[in-house]
Amino acid sequence: MSPALDPRSREAVESYVDDTLRSMPEYLRAGVLGESLLFGAGPRLAHALGRQDHAGLRTRIDGWRTSRIDFVRQYVRLLQSLVLFAENELAPSGT
Amino acid sequence: MAILDTEILVIGSGAGGAVTAATVARAGRSVVIVEEGPWVDPDATEPFSLAEMVAKYRHGGSCAALGRPAIAYAEGRCVGGSTEINSGLYHRLPTELADEWQRVYRIDEFGGDELDRYAQRIEDELGVSRLPGAPPMSSAVLERGAAKLGWQAVEFSRVFRYESSGRAVKQTMARTLLPRAMEAGARVIANCRVSKLTRHDGRVDGARCVRAREDGSSEDLLIRADHVFVCAGATQSPALLQRSGIRRNIGNGLKMHPTVKIAARFEHPIDHGDVPMHRVTEFAPGFTIGGSASRRGHVALALADSGADYADALADWERVAVYYAAIRSEGHGRVVALPGLAAPLVTYNLSEGDMSRLARALLHLGEVLLAAGATEMYPSITGGVVARSTDDLVQWWDATSRNRANLMTVHLTSTVRIGENRERTGADSFGRVWGYSNLRVNDASLLPDAPGVNPQGTIMAIAARNSDHFLAQT
Repeated sequence: MSPALDPRSREAVESYVDDTLRSMPEYLRAGVLGESLLFGAGPRLAHALGRQDHAGLRTRIDGWRTSRIDFVRQYVRLLQSLVLFAENELAPSGT
Repeated sequence: MAILDTEILVIGSGAGGAVTAATVARAGRSVVIVEEGPWVDPDATEPFSLAEMVAKYRHGGSCAALGRPAIAYAEGRCVGGSTEINSGLYHRLPTELADEWQRVYRIDEFGGDELDRYAQRIEDELGVSRLPGAPPMSSAVLERGAAKLGWQAVEFSRVFRYESSGRAVKQTMARTLLPRAMEAGARVIANCRVSKLTRHDGRVDGARCVRAREDGSSEDLLIRADHVFVCAGATQSPALLQRSGIRRNIGNGLKMHPTVKIAARFEHPIDHGDVPMHRVTEFAPGFTIGGSASRRGHVALALADSGADYADALADWERVAVYYAAIRSEGHGRVVALPGLAAPLVTYNLSEGDMSRLARALLHLGEVLLAAGATEMYPSITGGVVARSTDDLVQWWDATSRNRANLMTVHLTSTVRIGENRERTGADSFGRVWGYSNLRVNDASLLPDAPGVNPQGTIMAIAARNSDHFLAQT
């Protein structure tokens, strides 16, 4: 999510993404949940140990985004799409 | 449980359901239409906006057919169905395709002339027209690019009427046929999901529904009917039939128009309020080239699909628009209702020929946009190079692979095909489900194949034909 977003817009984007994920077909939602648990395990552990590495995480996400494994690439694409669409639609001039 | 009786129950209120309901209601029949989604005023949201996606799209617009690659798809879930969210482009079924379907699937009374008669009726009623003036820039660039290359391009008609003020009004079902059906006595029940059909001795005698109330609670509803038309679209119609225990040749022939996109940057601003009306038809029916919704959100999505750095292009989004190439696919998919889950599993397998056609279509799309003056093009291929010249386009050929292509579609068809060829069809020539005397399907599911053009006109013409046949028989 863009760091330039004000708190209100950020909340609106998060709300849209949450609602959309919740309304997805169950089988897609289960896949997203599984991948979130899998890919999020490392960063969550690092956070818990106080060893956050934002640059490393960004590199890892870039790697997933261009992965040749379709479900990995599509996972990042889905989340990025939802955030991007909301960020840009909620911008002052959407059209 | 509340109980409601009617002569005819129409499940789904999109292009197929609305035509069916209006036709039979005008003939004096008692009709109830149930729609899973809400009734949303057609003017309540801006076309293609986030608000529209939330209010009118199934799953908020986030659906995908699983396969290699997965294919994102969108469909309406509101009164009026996908007619409320599409671009309104209108095309009759090409005569040669109607004749081919008639031959292959042995469909009675289904020639091109026969369908054209019904198409004309729909066009007269709804108002199908071309733009009264010059096309917007986003559309004109396609015409210009095609002209430079010597390719054929046409302005498609749209299901629009133009008010005296010049305002273009899309003639959606919630604006046209559904109110007219209600004037003829039909009743529309929105926010009402049919969980299954009830059957007895080769007949369907009703539908079990769950109706959502405004306060967030829900009520069970049993609608008893003499005749049932399932018109819930190519994913939901077969899913409902399967949930009801009706499975023979149901859901296994899914077809679609897989689509690749390009976000193209120009030196001049491009309009973003409408979908381009021009289509490059030089390569039809194999593939067609056209323009997509290009609000700022869509531009951002299309730019990001390439995986390239797009910050500069997004900052200049008013000069960027999104274009697509949609193929007629040799592949096919399935819709399977999974026990205990509300949404059916949708899968689709592209053939090797499809992948090759997508690559060729993408290159030709790039060519026509360059000819039209595009200075920079971002393909919907992860890792696809940002092209600035025809030399760059060649690199897209190899890049268009299963593990890099980002595809989508808005046209899904063919999950309950019609015809007398029982090995290949789920319903007879007029949409009556095999084995059931009073159960009919009347929507995009019936099309034997994806038509290669916007299917709304074809769906409506077939629905009108089948409704007339029903009235003549009952």
